[in-house]
Amino acid sequence: MGGTTLGKYIIRRLLQTLPVVLGVVVLNFLLLQLAPGDLATVLAGEAGGAPKEYVDQLRQRFGQDQPVLVQLLSYLRNLAMLDLGYSFRQSAPVLDLLLARLWPTLLLMGSTLVVSLTIGVAMGLLAALWVKTWKDHLISVAAVIFYATPLFWIGLMLILVFSIHFDWFPTSGMEDVVAFHEGFARVVDIAHHLVLPTITLSMFYLALYARLMRASMLEQRGLDYVTTARAKGLPERQIVTRHVFRNALLPVVTMAGIQFGSLLGGSVVVESVFAWPGLGQLAYQSLFARDFNLLLGIFFLSACLVVIVNLVVDVIYVLLDPRIRIG
Amino acid sequence: MRVMTRSLGLIAVAMALTCGSAYAQKPGGTLVQITQPEPPNLAPYISTSGPIGQVTAKVFDGLLEYDFDLKPRPALAESFTVSPDGKTVTFKLRRGVQFHDGKPFTSADVQFTIMDVLKNNHPRGIATFREVTAVETPDEATAIFKLANPAPYMMAALSGYESPMLPKHVYGTGDIKAHPNANNPIGTGAFKFVEWRRGEFVRLDKNPNYWRQGRPFLDRIVVRFISDASTRTAVLEKGEAHLAGFGAVPYNDVKKLAALPSLEVTTKGYEMISPVVEMVINTKKPPFDNVKVRQAINYAVDRKFAIDNVWFGFGKPAMGPISSNFEPSGLYGKGVDYTVADRVERANKLLDEAGFPRKADGTRFEMVHDITPYGEEWQRFGEAVQQALARVGIKATLRYEDVPKWLKRVYTDYDFEVTSNFLYNLADPVLGVHRSFHSDRIKKGTVFVNAAQWSSPETDALMDKATVEADAQKRGALYRELVAKVTEASPVIYVHELQFPTIINKQFKNVIDTPLGIYGNYANAYRE
Repeated sequence: MGGTTLGKYIIRRLLQTLPVVLGVVVLNFLLLQLAPGDLATVLAGEAGGAPKEYVDQLRQRFGQDQPVLVQLLSYLRNLAMLDLGYSFRQSAPVLDLLLARLWPTLLLMGSTLVVSLTIGVAMGLLAALWVKTWKDHLISVAAVIFYATPLFWIGLMLILVFSIHFDWFPTSGMEDVVAFHEGFARVVDIAHHLVLPTITLSMFYLALYARLMRASMLEQRGLDYVTTARAKGLPERQIVTRHVFRNALLPVVTMAGIQFGSLLGGSVVVESVFAWPGLGQLAYQSLFARDFNLLLGIFFLSACLVVIVNLVVDVIYVLLDPRIRIG
Repeated sequence: MRVMTRSLGLIAVAMALTCGSAYAQKPGGTLVQITQPEPPNLAPYISTSGPIGQVTAKVFDGLLEYDFDLKPRPALAESFTVSPDGKTVTFKLRRGVQFHDGKPFTSADVQFTIMDVLKNNHPRGIATFREVTAVETPDEATAIFKLANPAPYMMAALSGYESPMLPKHVYGTGDIKAHPNANNPIGTGAFKFVEWRRGEFVRLDKNPNYWRQGRPFLDRIVVRFISDASTRTAVLEKGEAHLAGFGAVPYNDVKKLAALPSLEVTTKGYEMISPVVEMVINTKKPPFDNVKVRQAINYAVDRKFAIDNVWFGFGKPAMGPISSNFEPSGLYGKGVDYTVADRVERANKLLDEAGFPRKADGTRFEMVHDITPYGEEWQRFGEAVQQALARVGIKATLRYEDVPKWLKRVYTDYDFEVTSNFLYNLADPVLGVHRSFHSDRIKKGTVFVNAAQWSSPETDALMDKATVEADAQKRGALYRELVAKVTEASPVIYVHELQFPTIINKQFKNVIDTPLGIYGNYANAYRE
């Protein structure tokens, strides 16, 4: 496989995703029309009562006096030029709002992905090596508990124990808003704030990956190629690390790619508990405000993220398993 | 009409004396305030969404400020004079005041703010400044309001929270409704806007050129946004934030926080807001068109139980649409007392008379009770009312929807029977009370107005008279008559005067020093 084929493959995959993203946008646009009430009523409601003329004036400004189809077409036309529109509730362009929230979200998801995959895979690996011993049972029971505990509860408990009782970590937020650190001190500060939310969000996925990794390891170890390897005299350590581990990892990587979408969803709870300024909270707020421009922008961005991550997962496959050919 | 010439000089001297001792306060410190939810924008001149004012009242000044008895005191206006006929109000403006960008504040800014912005775009300003026909500016330090009719209520609505003074040279260019400075406010206030990191905080730094000498004491205010209620409690407990009000902390956590040595809890600072918990009855829908049914429900509601158990004691029974916070200004009046000892018997009797005898299963009729979607305590309140109504044979079903859906149901479709609600009395009954039952406020599609769709020619006339009556005593008499008539007809059940607990870290003093509380400017707040 040459570099050009991989490049071509990526371009072709990206082109294939265009109809997917378009479908997501149109479907969401139409679904949102079904929600009762609109932004104008919410704005008037927040104002504690406003004359009807004011509400009509608002609707006209938002273009909500137009038929749905006209609204949809003009939205798509703007989207084609990467103009995501204006959030009238937040008085700012949607793109600016999204970009401001994107990096905290990527930071939290990135750290969660790394932590949950590393620890999850390690736990699964160890459980498989110690299969049917008390250590295996201990790991499995822990995984089930992590899997079953609600995220918000874990988050609050971590705050109570490690923030209020021990005073090791800040309760919430992304940085210290009294000190306003700069430079390297700011990086350390943000990392400090990142610890509890990452642990909370990792718990669930860590359990998932651990269980999957354990099952996958046990399955691979029973396969013929392992027997062959053993027969030709390879040391057990090398069999596990070079052969079994690499093959067992494939389903975990697949799962991690699929779970990425749900990671975006799960982060709403964690962002809310830890006041983390990510996309999830923004989506939640704009839904309740019927801020459809902003909401559609978030859906569009999330769709793009999921598509890109799936592409990355496919490329990682190739690197992990030379038998898999692209194209 | 009596002459309302009022020099504020004396008050100013008194202020200077009381504040003189405060010069000993040492400057410095960052106050972290929790505001819930995050404001949608920082444009208080086009939106009155609650959280906006909690931030912008520090950035913008008004012409006046107010004492706890709701009497005005000087701010950007050093004094004002009301003409004998009540139709001309002359403001003498403070000289040498600068906006945060260094440009001077003049009468042209007042004219622009009132005539071009608030009168046309501010959701409440449309009503507040309805009578203002022109603002004349004979010189830079004089602004003369010309009114079509006297508007005594206007004088209570000139704070930096309610009517912020904007710089004409900034907001005068471009579309005021989508202005680039909507999220980058520039005013004359004690604190300058520095940064808004969405989902995190707004940062306000001390204005070194503030017109009050030696103020503000604090270096910085940071307003944080934390959507989870339990986390807000934890943050206050740990001292990472120092101040929260307006229900930002759940009532069931307030007791726990109040017990901590580092925190104190106050219910002061809501005197110009005066929220009243109520139940709006759709008087066009049988059987609620029957006054006896409405009175029966009114008697059936157990106010004391709701206050003690749902609001953990924060509140007191309401005796009518007007809050007792108006007692010092003479506008308060008590109506029919629905809290009498034999209220359950009275309710049963009224329902019998109305033609709804108990059926074999003990019930009389069924109804749907909509819950106002502004927090969990309203569901508990709904359950409390449900039990109280069951006692008199009314079977109530609770319905809980999200904000846009509820607003549409109640104020656009009128598709409800009874809904819980809470409305602010605001700075004057004209602004906050008339809207609930005046005939000209029965407006389909307009939220927080007369959804009960009840009115009467007598009560309309009383309100119209009180609107233009400049004499406080005569106004008080009109309102007492109004309250008696409205509570008798019972289109809205006034349950109780809601008290919001404000939690303050004891390191900080003098934070809540006006009836606007968290909507104040914190110019006199300091850290010990």
